[in-house]
Amino acid sequence: MPILEITDVSAGYGSGPDILRGLSLEVEEAKSYCIIGPNGAGKSTLFKVIAGLLHPRTGNVVFRGESLARRRPDQVLATGVCFVPQDQALFPEMSVRENLIMGAYLVKDRSLVKERLARVYEMFPILSERAGQDAGKLSGGQQQMLAMGRALMIDPILLMLDEPTLGLAPQIAQQIFSQVEQLKSMGLTVVIIEQNAQRGLELADWGVVLDLGIVRFEGPSEGILEDPRIRELYLGKAASTGETR
Amino acid sequence: MIEDRAAVGPEPSDPEPEQQEAQRPPGPARYRWYVLAAVVVALFALPLFRPMISSYNYVLTLGALILMWVAMSSSWNILGGFAGYISLGHSVFMGVGGYVAGVLLYYHGISPFLTAPLGGLAAVALGFLAGFITLRTRGPAFIISTIALLFMFLLMTDNFEYLGGAAGLPLPALPLSQEWLRVPFYYAMLLIALGAIWTAYRVAHSKFGMGLRAIAEDEVKAEVAGVPTRLYKISAFAISAFWVGVAGAIYGYSIAFVRPTVFFTIAISAQMVLMAIIGGKGTVAGPVVGAVLIYAINELSLVAFGATEFNIVIQGTMLVAVLLFFPLGIVGTLRKMNRLPAFLNWD
Repeated sequence: MPILEITDVSAGYGSGPDILRGLSLEVEEAKSYCIIGPNGAGKSTLFKVIAGLLHPRTGNVVFRGESLARRRPDQVLATGVCFVPQDQALFPEMSVRENLIMGAYLVKDRSLVKERLARVYEMFPILSERAGQDAGKLSGGQQQMLAMGRALMIDPILLMLDEPTLGLAPQIAQQIFSQVEQLKSMGLTVVIIEQNAQRGLELADWGVVLDLGIVRFEGPSEGILEDPRIRELYLGKAASTGETR
Repeated sequence: MIEDRAAVGPEPSDPEPEQQEAQRPPGPARYRWYVLAAVVVALFALPLFRPMISSYNYVLTLGALILMWVAMSSSWNILGGFAGYISLGHSVFMGVGGYVAGVLLYYHGISPFLTAPLGGLAAVALGFLAGFITLRTRGPAFIISTIALLFMFLLMTDNFEYLGGAAGLPLPALPLSQEWLRVPFYYAMLLIALGAIWTAYRVAHSKFGMGLRAIAEDEVKAEVAGVPTRLYKISAFAISAFWVGVAGAIYGYSIAFVRPTVFFTIAISAQMVLMAIIGGKGTVAGPVVGAVLIYAINELSLVAFGATEFNIVIQGTMLVAVLLFFPLGIVGTLRKMNRLPAFLNWD
């Protein structure tokens, strides 16, 4: 039973052309998904549509039986759908702690906020050490951890991460992947857009290939990784030898 | 002990007693409230030292005016500093407060000392209404819309007979001898200034204040995080109007008349902005420091150079110097450099 159903969604920016062109996708609970595809395929646009930052021109987005298509971002967030964009959407002049608390802005129960804050600090000890520091002064990796920690403050059901390792050193990127693994093991539904498609697909249960605004392929990650067409077209590897191009 | 700003938002800090002791700020920070309490006591006691002050009425008048600017600049800071929406029309609220109290005194004989809060509430009502319209815009468009509000009120009061038109309304003086005349105004302004600082402090240390800061940093991000940005901006506009309105009510009574050109001028609004920027926009102590500094320097230059308008040159020079060396205002920059004296760290 899918928790998120995207049906025939078309969307674009302003009066520009459709970026998503009748895209349909289902996301099942407690599973992890990796979305790959070339630049301009509509990966980030899809996340924006789900998060309420961009309203679909046609089609519908249904989360746990409720339509998200015309909802504001804060209303989408309140349903348990949390989006961590590429730029992390942090408040650079606020402290790490304030940024985390901003993540739980919709939560009224103070003890619950405190509990979640402790959980995030446990998961990302570096954030606890830097609690009083301005978010803008953190390193790229730490900022990414803060963005993920902030997303966890709302206790999301579905977490969407848009290129969380973009611009990070391989060692730091590995740390981020480990954190995503941990989120998966907590039973969270995670959808990730990852520039390192190979690593992203290894991490996820299900792979989705977007191209020109539609889902071109989807299936179990291993299958996607082994499919010669996908390897050739999207993973940058020769189909026959498996070598990097 | 100063509260952690974040701790009084959605997440309270409620450590164990032994942890509280360990967390208490070291050194002078522990005594900041004692220093501030001593300053407040000294301000309350000032009128009692009549025999020791040669220009008693001048000192009290000066004190009352500085306190009025502290109140108005601190109030402006709630919208302009915390939420980042620069209003150049805030003197409208001063005028509304002044006229509400002035009309009640002129036509019904009720003292502005009693009706000043009504003036504040009228300003709040206008703040809601004006905010509802003007806060659809942002940046330069918002600034221009607040200036338009100011000119609208100038025109309206200029042409409204009931309010005395351009000549305004003369107000009866307080029935006190000349030697005690300034005392009630001084105390009224002291209470207003304390009220305005307290309001700014409460806002800064609340979830609402954190939402305003998020709006100032990035409105779209704030909205995505769940901050009801429109409601918060309008509320900030209205709250920031209250003490400006109350101050206007008392100020009108202190000069014994209300007139459009007294209140509805952009210079008054600009002065509030200037004080907040020089002191440190977005900090609680900044507008207080800015108001005291600007007014004191202005007054000193007037005493030194007379009515030569040299004070304007000095004020301008000071603004340039502050912007060069203290880009976040005096309090803001010192805080960033970790050099802010503990007794001024109210954030």
